[in-house]
Amino acid sequence: MQLRIEKRMIPHIPWGLIVAALAIAALGIWNLASASRPPHTPLWTRQSLNLAVGLAVALGICLVDYRVVQRAVVPIYVLNIAALLLLRVLGHKAKGEQSWFALGPVRVEPAEFMKVGVLLMLAKFFHDDYRAGESPYGPLRLWKPFLIAFGAAALVMPDLGNSLMIILSSLTIFIFARLRWWLIATGFVGLMVMSLVIWNDYVRDPADGHPTIIRQVLKRHQSQRIAGWLDPEADLKGSGYHAAQSKIAVGSGGLRGKGWMNGTQTGLFFLPEQHTDFIFSVWAEEHGFVACLLLLVLYGLIFLFSLGVAFQARDRFGAFVAVGVTSMLFWQVFENIGMVIGLLPVTGITLPLMSYGGSSMVSCMVSLGLLANISMRRHVF
Amino acid sequence: MTLGHNSAGKDLRTRYLYLGIAIFLGLCALAVRLYRLQITRGDEYAQKSEANYIKEVRVKADRGMIKDRRGDVLVTSRPSFDVFITPAFCDKCADEVLPKLAMWLGWDEPQRTHVEQLVRQGMRRQKFEAVPVQLDLNRDELDTLDAHRAELPWAVDWHGVPHRAYPIGTVLSHLLGYMNEISQDELDERNAAGANYALGDFVGRRGIERFFEPQLRGSDGSRKEVVNAKGEMDPELTKSFADKTVASTPGDNVVLSIDIRLQEAAEKAFPGVAGAVVAVDVRTGFILAMVSRPGFDSNLLTGRVTPAQLAAMSKDPLQPMIFRPVQQHYSPGSTFKPITALAAMKSGVLGPQTGVLCTGGYQLGGRRWRCDKEAGHGTIDMRAALQHSCDVYFYRAADLMGLDPIAEEAREFGLGQRTGIGVVAEVPGIMPTSAYHDRATPGGYNKGFALNSSIGQGDVNVTPLQLAMVYSTLANGGTLYRPQLVRRLESLDGHTVKEYQPEVVRHVDMTPEDRRIIVDALTAVVNEPGGTGYASRLPNIKFAGKTGTAQVVKIGKVRLKANQVTYWQRDHAWFASFAPAEDPEIAVIVLNEHSGFGATGAAPTAAAVIKRYFELKADDSGHAAAALELPAAHEVVPPPPIDLLSVPMDPATGPAPPPRQSGRSLAQGSH
Repeated sequence: MQLRIEKRMIPHIPWGLIVAALAIAALGIWNLASASRPPHTPLWTRQSLNLAVGLAVALGICLVDYRVVQRAVVPIYVLNIAALLLLRVLGHKAKGEQSWFALGPVRVEPAEFMKVGVLLMLAKFFHDDYRAGESPYGPLRLWKPFLIAFGAAALVMPDLGNSLMIILSSLTIFIFARLRWWLIATGFVGLMVMSLVIWNDYVRDPADGHPTIIRQVLKRHQSQRIAGWLDPEADLKGSGYHAAQSKIAVGSGGLRGKGWMNGTQTGLFFLPEQHTDFIFSVWAEEHGFVACLLLLVLYGLIFLFSLGVAFQARDRFGAFVAVGVTSMLFWQVFENIGMVIGLLPVTGITLPLMSYGGSSMVSCMVSLGLLANISMRRHVF
Repeated sequence: MTLGHNSAGKDLRTRYLYLGIAIFLGLCALAVRLYRLQITRGDEYAQKSEANYIKEVRVKADRGMIKDRRGDVLVTSRPSFDVFITPAFCDKCADEVLPKLAMWLGWDEPQRTHVEQLVRQGMRRQKFEAVPVQLDLNRDELDTLDAHRAELPWAVDWHGVPHRAYPIGTVLSHLLGYMNEISQDELDERNAAGANYALGDFVGRRGIERFFEPQLRGSDGSRKEVVNAKGEMDPELTKSFADKTVASTPGDNVVLSIDIRLQEAAEKAFPGVAGAVVAVDVRTGFILAMVSRPGFDSNLLTGRVTPAQLAAMSKDPLQPMIFRPVQQHYSPGSTFKPITALAAMKSGVLGPQTGVLCTGGYQLGGRRWRCDKEAGHGTIDMRAALQHSCDVYFYRAADLMGLDPIAEEAREFGLGQRTGIGVVAEVPGIMPTSAYHDRATPGGYNKGFALNSSIGQGDVNVTPLQLAMVYSTLANGGTLYRPQLVRRLESLDGHTVKEYQPEVVRHVDMTPEDRRIIVDALTAVVNEPGGTGYASRLPNIKFAGKTGTAQVVKIGKVRLKANQVTYWQRDHAWFASFAPAEDPEIAVIVLNEHSGFGATGAAPTAAAVIKRYFELKADDSGHAAAALELPAAHEVVPPPPIDLLSVPMDPATGPAPPPRQSGRSLAQGSH
């Protein structure tokens, strides 16, 4: 087990990835200073600390050859499952969801780490399972990864956002691993059916008394989020409030924004979750369209560089970890910004590197550390 | 380090490309959506964002005061503690907030429902506009609310607000008017006409408050406040909107021609339960005092009256809401006789020296018209007939000339037409002619109507103000002025904005000789023994006057004594006067309803008012700002088009009720 950086690794340090990620994190802290301006508790100092911890963890991960990590994948996954099960017993209650442990002043959100755990586990599976020249995956060979992904998603489940992230990125990895065409077709049909169900449950006029399909199964706040996404103006004070106010914040930013610390939606508390899930609305309101594009480009660079890492990975495990991290980050960015700008329903999901939160920051840094690790160890071949 | 070294598998290569394209498309979708929100619809969202946090607060203009001619304040605004609710910020208003308020302020169920409705209306209309839900908190209520501040949302607020105050209570209440809350319909109507009223605003009702509403009100300003999502004002951000503040323009003061000291003297001197006193400057037509009794308390009607009190007022048989000097007409009785005398002289049927024999009655056709003095006055000329108020003399004159010359003379003096006073609604009175009787009386006109009218009975009906204008026209030598109540409008700092000048309606065709005879006779009424007003003469001031006793019900065979009939059957007492007799300045009319003889029920009041007028004149002559200073009478403007005749009725109370005494009273004698 080598805990040092060899000289031959240095040319392979993914500088583009690091610079893009640090740039976003720096903008995030700057943005957070505005989002949490008085009378809020200023959060940018704590977030800087989170970033420092995250960087330290990432650096630590870089030092360990990822094949060591590969060997530890199963214990990591099992540990995550244990943590999630433990959470059910003594988790800290917040927002109606048991989503974190309170360890003294530090709150740890196991779901954030489970996301990485699932990626690693799936990468290990597709690495171990690979036989050259084999046909695409059918359902018979897919039950194991399916169990890995959906089992984790189910455990995370009260947290709809992270659960959705695990499912979406797992599906991305499955597709990447090549599925039989009819599986994809089935998935597509499933998507259509889902849309139909949502239409039936939330869009159709409920007055005619038709039966709902999933509406009565979902928790009330989850159900309201879907309804709020479809028509945020319908219930401004209630479930649609976030979605409507968030759209106002983003839209009122215009081309150039209202200026740092000058966002009125932000400064006057019109957006409750503005420093976590709705952080992008603060950015959009205060800095406008151009800065939003800049942020999208920075995220785009991260995706590009991480795909590059995957492309050049020395083995299938590395490639699949890199692809998994990429898709996980992408889905988070897509879903978070999508909900802030009213494109997608509101699900509690953080914007990587921008949102306030230690667990989110550290888990993101772990992912990026893994990427760097993979990038730096392709010399082996 | 080439791609060939990649042992992860060549099979993955194209998949990276597809994955990359998918991610790129996803980011593009976000970018497109952002473009639509921020660029295409940016302005729309910017407005929504402003609507979120910018609250426009109205800065109410100070309402102008109403003053008497010397500047004594009759109506002003004083602070009172009121409770407000801003509907937009009142969550669970009906369920939680209002029941608490109801408990602490002791509201009953209808009151609570009323407030609930107000808040709901406000929510629909102007949800950031605070709605007043309770006026005039007393000390205890204020303490209770202060103690429970923490339990009430920020949307409920209480603070001092200027309220209209009428320190003189029931005095001049009809004339000054009162204020109450604007209705939704009125608000829409007035705002459509360019005003800027809000729900909960008070508007002037009746009198000066209503007529001069636009001038008194001024115009409200506005100020922008920045509020956060909880509705709390942000002082720092609000400062940046200081330049958006629009200052309010305070309303003008209305300066009346009333002298409150004379008014008070008249109020004090008037002994009756119902009636009117009018004092007018005969040289200008400006009114100096105007009593209408019974009155009401403008303070009470300004937002504090209960439905029960209102019902009681509307059921009161004395009709306190009627402004008797102009909204009620009465038979003038003998105070009408100078008109008949002038008509007789003008038509030549009776000269001033022509004698008429009074035997206590006058035979016309099959009927005998009684004189008040049953023994008769003997042979009597015009001067004595006026002095002793002999009816037979005027029956004779009417018998000789008929009704129309009398009616013509009366109309010259303004009877049967509105005076054009403006400000308050008025009734025109009735001056019958033969054509009128042909039209309105079964059987048509006959001379009996002329006889009745000649002594101010029959269908002749005048308002006290009309009679005041008749006597001031007699006094000033024949100029009929338009009576006016307002001297000028002045700005807050006292600069005159508009000054009202005397306005002549017409010059009455009356020879100086004819006038001299009438004035001489009316002077004798008061100043010579045997005159009906002799008891009310004043030692230092020689004034002229005429008593009147107007019958209300037809007299039966035997005349009953005053204490033998009920209040409603008793005669109205009149006294019409002007002073000084030689060079008149002031005319005073007193009407005391159902009080019997004019000499006792009305004349003493008139004398007291005249006495007070000259005392005040003496007092003021020493001062630079001589209060009774008058605009020069000769600088009169030509008669205006009298468009004030049809003053719109008070929306709060509807049209003035029809006069009570317009019924025909058959004259059987009067003083």
